[in-house]
Amino acid sequence: MSPVDNGLVVDGLEVRFGGLVAVNGLSLEAPIGRITGLIGPNGAGKSTSFDACFGFTRPSAGRVSFAGVDLTHAPVTSRAHLGIGRTFQRIELFDNLSVHHNVALGLEAKLAGRSPLTQLWARRSERIAVEEVTREMMDLCHLTDLADTRAGSLSTGQRRLVELARALAGGHQLLLLDEPASGLDAHESRAFGQLLRRVVETRGTGILVVEHDMSLVSTICDYVYVLDYGRLIYQGTPAEVLASETVRIAYLGTEPIPEEV
Amino acid sequence: MSDLLPFIVVGLATGAVYGLAGVGLVLTYRTSGVFNFSHGAIASAGAYLFYELHNKHGVPWPLAVFVGVFLLGPAMGVVLELIGRRLSGTTAALRVVATVGLLLIVLGVATIIYGPATITLPQFLPTKTFKVTGVNVGYDQVILVAVGIAVSIGLTVILRKTRLGMAMRGVVDDPALLELTGLNATGVRRSAWIIGSMVASASGILLAPVLGLDPLLLTLLVVQAFGAAAVGRFRNVGLTFVGGLGVGIAAAVSQRYATDFPSLLGFPPSVPFFVLFAILLAAKKGSLFEVGEVRRQDRGHLTPLPTAWRRVALLAAAGAVALIPFVVGAKLQVWISGAAYVVIFLSLGLLVKTAGQVSLCHAAFVAVGASTFSHLRVGAHLPWPVALLGAALVTVPVGAIVAIPAIRLSGVYLALATFGFGILLERMVYRTFLMYGSEGNLLAPRPGGVSDKVYFFVAVGVAVLAALLTRKIQRGRLGRLLEAVADSPKALTSLGASVTTALVLVFCASAFLAGVAGGLLASGAGTAGSSGLGAFQSLLWLTVIAMAGTRVLSSSVIAAVLLAVLPIYLPASLTDWQPVFFGGAALATALFAGRIDWTGWLRNEVEARADRTRRSPTLARRGDLGWTGSMSRRRTPTVGAPAATSLVEVAP
Repeated sequence: MSPVDNGLVVDGLEVRFGGLVAVNGLSLEAPIGRITGLIGPNGAGKSTSFDACFGFTRPSAGRVSFAGVDLTHAPVTSRAHLGIGRTFQRIELFDNLSVHHNVALGLEAKLAGRSPLTQLWARRSERIAVEEVTREMMDLCHLTDLADTRAGSLSTGQRRLVELARALAGGHQLLLLDEPASGLDAHESRAFGQLLRRVVETRGTGILVVEHDMSLVSTICDYVYVLDYGRLIYQGTPAEVLASETVRIAYLGTEPIPEEV
Repeated sequence: MSDLLPFIVVGLATGAVYGLAGVGLVLTYRTSGVFNFSHGAIASAGAYLFYELHNKHGVPWPLAVFVGVFLLGPAMGVVLELIGRRLSGTTAALRVVATVGLLLIVLGVATIIYGPATITLPQFLPTKTFKVTGVNVGYDQVILVAVGIAVSIGLTVILRKTRLGMAMRGVVDDPALLELTGLNATGVRRSAWIIGSMVASASGILLAPVLGLDPLLLTLLVVQAFGAAAVGRFRNVGLTFVGGLGVGIAAAVSQRYATDFPSLLGFPPSVPFFVLFAILLAAKKGSLFEVGEVRRQDRGHLTPLPTAWRRVALLAAAGAVALIPFVVGAKLQVWISGAAYVVIFLSLGLLVKTAGQVSLCHAAFVAVGASTFSHLRVGAHLPWPVALLGAALVTVPVGAIVAIPAIRLSGVYLALATFGFGILLERMVYRTFLMYGSEGNLLAPRPGGVSDKVYFFVAVGVAVLAALLTRKIQRGRLGRLLEAVADSPKALTSLGASVTTALVLVFCASAFLAGVAGGLLASGAGTAGSSGLGAFQSLLWLTVIAMAGTRVLSSSVIAAVLLAVLPIYLPASLTDWQPVFFGGAALATALFAGRIDWTGWLRNEVEARADRTRRSPTLARRGDLGWTGSMSRRRTPTVGAPAATSLVEVAP
């Protein structure tokens, strides 16, 4: 595969917790304008690699870059400024704020950034931009009716949508979604998948989605990486992955971990 | 070296008691998740009971010790367990408020009964000495160390080897899971609180003859346990005891050098806070014992009053304030300091209510502001407004220093770090030339020497400006970021905003306001003095602001009136009860958090009446639900519907 210069490139990523190697030599590419999946059974190291990509966990080796910029040791906040947004497996909303404020913070926080000056003063043009983007994203994610509701009082499905709308409001080129379907029923999950496809098609955003639920991944992803015991065991289109014997064994666990990638 | 040995012996003995107190603290914290700021107060209670029985009524000391440790201790343990159970679902800030409230109650009651002066107690243990390498060692000192070692080893064994100890370690993580294994989580917690309180009571009794009985001193000195507990990372009983010994020795040995260098006199008693502060700052994230984070609770969003109502209310309030100087007569001085206290509580409220941070060193901020104001006004002959602004600006970097622990720590550890910082400042810097000097008092003249009446309006004007500034911050971008920090710092960083910057900014803003308040307070009185701006006030202020409601602006005014103005209108005999009252109210606020919000209740009451006069189809008056209903059942959106449409519907 040729290196993509406009997306996320992970090269030889390794994460250790003490003696445990949680992620071992993971390499993947998540280009803009496509949905890339990262799947694997529970404990395979999906969320860990995700956190390492985003800077919440320090990788012990390897390289993470986005649009040609090395991000491996950059602080978490720099991700948003380079155009990467994310959601969390355990939903992290601002529970005491309204849905509207939650979504608005997607852009507001990015504009506030790290400088004391920008955190203290918002320019008029910025305020207008935040307001516009917030409306647009709430509309896109069907949240307009809930705008004044406190985020803490919503159902899991609605909370997932708020988190997505908030990430989208940042105007990012790439979104990292950490198990967006967990806690959703089959119907909600399908609708969420359709929404993601629409986002990619209309806005050209790239998405890297971590899931252990194959059904969502196989319907929305363009390309899928399969992780098990911290190693990449397979990659290909969803159809190829579904047909793969290696993946089937990893999920059903009938045989020891294959040595070969 | 040999001349140090006597100090080391003394240090070992007191250190053993500190360690003992620390061990009790760690035990209860680990099992309940509630860090007990009133741990020292329990020790005091034990010591006072012992004094009452043994010294006043001639009860033999073994019996008095038995009553203090084995009857009072368990009784207080049971009460604390009940409180701790109630607190398990609340935020770290509220837990701090609750136990600080308890501390104030015990402290207040002790002061009322025994007076604020120190009572010297003869040592009840045998005081005969024997010589070890030329140093006199008392049998009482040997007993102190032996008791400390025995209790620490005993508790370590219980925690590590017994079924109960195992349960104690597990209960804080998941009480429900523990109950699945057939153990009673409440029972396990209760035994931990009982053991902890017994140990605390014992440490108080053992320490009283050494230090003397003084409500404040003992309450704060057993807080030396904090330093010891920090050495044990708030989790390890054995290390905590060793930490206590270390703290005791370091304090005693530094005492030896402090006699040679008078400027270091404040150092020995501050050793534990140095230890505490240093460990909190240096500790790796996650190495301290952490209790699962509890999210901030719903603050209950009220629909704003109609604009017309608000205008009328504001005008009425302005009119009332304008009348004050002509009505209150000689008590105007109190109202002037009330205006300054509004600014203090705005500053504290901004931190506590908007950003969800805890500060237990606010009095130190105010003291820095007050002394700087005096230096600028008297020393540098600056005009009044410039000196006030200068005082505020000088206080800002002090706020930034306190922001450092806030970035690394949260909840109870932040509270501890700020508490330690405040005490350090009080003991080490207050009496130096930087602040009040050795005299302890500075002049702080008013602008052009104006009368009380004029100055009252100046102070109110400054308070209004401070309120507008606070409101501007709250409603602006920073305010929104801070609310987000209080809910989920993790999400906020992922969105690209730096939590560090936001926290430093809010601590600086809070310190700025506190500096203004300091200058305002000082020039109101004409002098800046360190009395009334110590660690005790920081504790008191936190409890007052906690009980005054959930909204920053209104609660600042309420808190200022309650604390600074109201006492002068009450009989003098009630003044002593003030800390007890505030402590009790803060404890109640924390225990019933989210269920009692009396400013919200009041407001609902007013609105309900307004609705009724407008004949809108409000189904039930919120007021009918009383105090307890106002938070849990919020107004439905239809209540705020315009009166006109309602009239159409209601009219036949």
